[in-house]
Amino acid sequence: MNEISPDLGRLEKLEGIGCARKRREDPRFIQGRGTYVDDIHLPGMLFGVMVRSPYAHARIRAIDTARAKAMPGVHAVLTAEDLKPLKLHWMPTLAGDVQAVLADGKVCFQNQEVAFVVAEDRYIAADAAELVDVDYEELPAVVDPFRALEPDAPVIREDLAGKDVGAHGPRRHHNHIFNWQIGDRDRTDRAFANAAVTVKQDMLYPRVHPCPLETCGSVASYDPVKGDLTVWITSQAPHVVRTVVGLLSSIPESKIRIISPDIGGGFGNKVGVYPGYVTAIVASIVLGRPVKWIESRNENLTTTAFARDYWMTGELAADADGRIKGLRVNVTADHGAFDACADPTKWPAGMFHVCTGSYDIPTAHVSVDGVYTNKFPGGVAYRCSFRVTEAVYLVERMIDVLAQKLGIDKAEIRLRNFIAKEQFPYHTPLGLEYDSGDYAPALRRVMKAVDYDALRAEQAAKRADPNCPVLMGIGITTFTEIVGAGPSKNCDILGIGMFDSCEIRVHPDGSAIARMGTITQGQGHQTTYAQIIATEAGIPASVIHVEEGDTSTAPYGLGTYGSRSTPVAGAAVARASHKIREKARKIAAHLLEVSPDDLEFDLDQFRVKGDPSRAKGMKEIAWAAYNNVPEGMEMGLEAVDYYDPPNFTFPFGAYLAVVDITKATGEIKVRRFYALDDCGTRINPMIIEGQIHGGLTEGFAVAFGQELPYDEQGNVLGGTLMDYFVPTAVETPHWETDYTVTPSPHHPIGAKGVAESPHVGSIPCFSNAVVDAFAHLGVTHTGMPHNAYRTWKQLNALGVAG
Amino acid sequence: MKITIEKSLDLPLSPALAWDMLQDIEGVAACLPGAKITEQLDETHYKGTVSVKLGPATVSFKGEIEIAGRDEAAGTLHIIGKGSDQGGTSGASLDLHASIIALPGGGARLSGVSDVTVTGKVATFGARLMNSVSEVLLQKFFTNLAARAEALRAAQPATAAEVSAPPAMAASTTASATMPAPMPAPAAETKLNALTLLWAIIKDFLANLFRRSKAT
Repeated sequence: MNEISPDLGRLEKLEGIGCARKRREDPRFIQGRGTYVDDIHLPGMLFGVMVRSPYAHARIRAIDTARAKAMPGVHAVLTAEDLKPLKLHWMPTLAGDVQAVLADGKVCFQNQEVAFVVAEDRYIAADAAELVDVDYEELPAVVDPFRALEPDAPVIREDLAGKDVGAHGPRRHHNHIFNWQIGDRDRTDRAFANAAVTVKQDMLYPRVHPCPLETCGSVASYDPVKGDLTVWITSQAPHVVRTVVGLLSSIPESKIRIISPDIGGGFGNKVGVYPGYVTAIVASIVLGRPVKWIESRNENLTTTAFARDYWMTGELAADADGRIKGLRVNVTADHGAFDACADPTKWPAGMFHVCTGSYDIPTAHVSVDGVYTNKFPGGVAYRCSFRVTEAVYLVERMIDVLAQKLGIDKAEIRLRNFIAKEQFPYHTPLGLEYDSGDYAPALRRVMKAVDYDALRAEQAAKRADPNCPVLMGIGITTFTEIVGAGPSKNCDILGIGMFDSCEIRVHPDGSAIARMGTITQGQGHQTTYAQIIATEAGIPASVIHVEEGDTSTAPYGLGTYGSRSTPVAGAAVARASHKIREKARKIAAHLLEVSPDDLEFDLDQFRVKGDPSRAKGMKEIAWAAYNNVPEGMEMGLEAVDYYDPPNFTFPFGAYLAVVDITKATGEIKVRRFYALDDCGTRINPMIIEGQIHGGLTEGFAVAFGQELPYDEQGNVLGGTLMDYFVPTAVETPHWETDYTVTPSPHHPIGAKGVAESPHVGSIPCFSNAVVDAFAHLGVTHTGMPHNAYRTWKQLNALGVAG
Repeated sequence: MKITIEKSLDLPLSPALAWDMLQDIEGVAACLPGAKITEQLDETHYKGTVSVKLGPATVSFKGEIEIAGRDEAAGTLHIIGKGSDQGGTSGASLDLHASIIALPGGGARLSGVSDVTVTGKVATFGARLMNSVSEVLLQKFFTNLAARAEALRAAQPATAAEVSAPPAMAASTTASATMPAPMPAPAAETKLNALTLLWAIIKDFLANLFRRSKAT
């Protein structure tokens, strides 16, 4: 006899929400059978290579392409002059600015695109690129955003001369982009004037890069006979690319097909539209042949979409017990030479205003200035929603600074300031409505799991021992993230609301295909979306095929970034599944000759209430949908849903790190890292754990090594993997994970999104741990990355080097 | 990136002869491994090339050299160079102030302060090697220059050029880096052997390592 309940057996067979279903994507990846853009080979395909500027700021006196064009195997060399008749030498950015596709008389950052060489293969194209003679007149470079705002600073964007108003309001200087403010300034100033204690801290969140394993690239193929344009592209938002390409080229969107095949990691790097994509398309149209363009690693790290570069000053006002009364933040944001930040149109600093964090702060004011410098454009989120990592870093660092000033324990000060469970939905002083949260139990659970008191006792003992070879630090973060962009009333990209979509077709045999407006880049959509359908529509996940990334088949969607797939597209999946289920209910009622109201849904079948022996399974209903439907009903079983979320979702977590800093060398060992995440309803615990491991590892990378510094001449340093830190299993610490479940009240299945929380939450946790190790020496902040050399210098400066 | 290099070299020549030697720009340039003056444009302008291997990047710069200042009475020379590599991926500039002062013993000391600025691929791929490579290049340059001075001295009639001080050289950048005694080299060594370069860099790296550990 089978002892297991038949219901449990059926649920496991469906592989619905909550099951640790193995990833459907993995068989092809672990066998090397994925199809990435660079795997696309078309007959007659040519290869394009960019000629780039060695200077950060220079006037172009002349470009001589004759030698390059004369080289055998070269088909074309495009410069801005060639793009001008097509009006494609400049293109709009996502932030309302314009960006040069190919430099128009001037280069404004090192490695800026100057010419595009198209040849038989990549080798010929690369050799020919060296034959393009560009005559530059070097200009002084500005790489410091504060220097950029001085009255005598060189003019970076001559094309904006006379434009005193940008896309986000008035500009007060030739290198100024915008000033954006939110919150109640007067009330906040009063809170500071009346406060018992105030603290202030400057901090830089350095320029970093998402550095996905696969660089950006595309294959453009224009059919001169049909007039159709097909582009295979590394894009996190293929439909947005189609709209942008349509706007730029005047080709109707119906004639453009954008395909994002397998993507080797995005993390924000693959949201934008880059000059290489545009030039590949133009070259294909001009030459009538497919043209491939794939970035080198150096090009990827130095031209397509950096993240952060935020110079922040935080201030907290509090009473003597450490209860926060106000938050004031001033930011100077280095946006590089063109404002190509990926942010919702309305919010040029993204969702930075989530910077009041998990704390009940009565009043706050934020002011952000965007500045042009001679650095490459971007400003995308790196494994986080728009500017959320910066916001969380600020508040989590500031609360530690306050705790140190008052001598209050860093866990205790958080417990004193948390938003209480009863306060949800909670309205923050900066205008956001947090959907749900339960912060104090999460932190207490972590403290218990690691025996926090024992750790503090150990730290005290080590500090008291002058012969101890290490400094021990304990870092805590209790962060709140904002994801799931977003409600179309607040969020749009190029005027298109940030909804997302799902189309489900159930076939006569009961199997189904689901097509999505999102695109997986490692998140496991093909696995998890099927689990939602399994639970919500009663179709086994094993017979559901999830398809994404082809704009000719998928419904319009805004793509995958900012942890929006589950909160937005996942909701669309659930709602489309409900539509399928409700039609199935009517068909079942017809088959069973009862009223639909007399039926109840039971996993994968409809049962007559009170008579469980009479039931119709989804498989049977699907067959009937194609031959025996109630009178007046359309045949078939399919549904489409476009979901415009009513609000964002707010995942949260409590993290704790223990680090040991070797006094003699400055090396930092992460001895322990405990991560508790609450992402609401958990769809696939195995995938969640994998995503958290990945996010923590990328957080570790940023905190301890990643940086794209510039020298005075505007050379970007760190543009190779010799310098840019990508952790491997050797460096990566051991992660301990845990969870609580606080569902989102407004999401159809209560899910909030998870993959970015570990990145957002872990970086300040590492910094807090490093600073905590020095706290008894009066240190309130040290800059990232916390590499051994920097730490060793600090140990020496403080006179505690071993 | 920008590095500043300060060097001095004692020459077995009278200041006047040393000054004359410096006026032969082509001859002096030939002492720098990989460098060549290809054309003299006018009294003060030259065209030239320099090839350097910096780790994975081999760059061949071509550019212009300008004698921006020449003061024979004071014994000072100001040279400005600007160039880009043939592939268009890097740029470099040089700003050199050289001076000649008389030594008490009758010889002359040649001192130079130069700012070298590089941009592009050289800075990206070669930055970490810049200091070591320049050090090695300059050592070679000075060895060659000293050999040239020695040859010049030997060619002079005894009365005009005899100096009592023995040829002695000191590189002032680091205390430990003393120059080897000049070999009676018949021709300036202009090719830089890859192995020599590698060994010099390793030696330099090790020397730095021990200096650092002593400091802690």
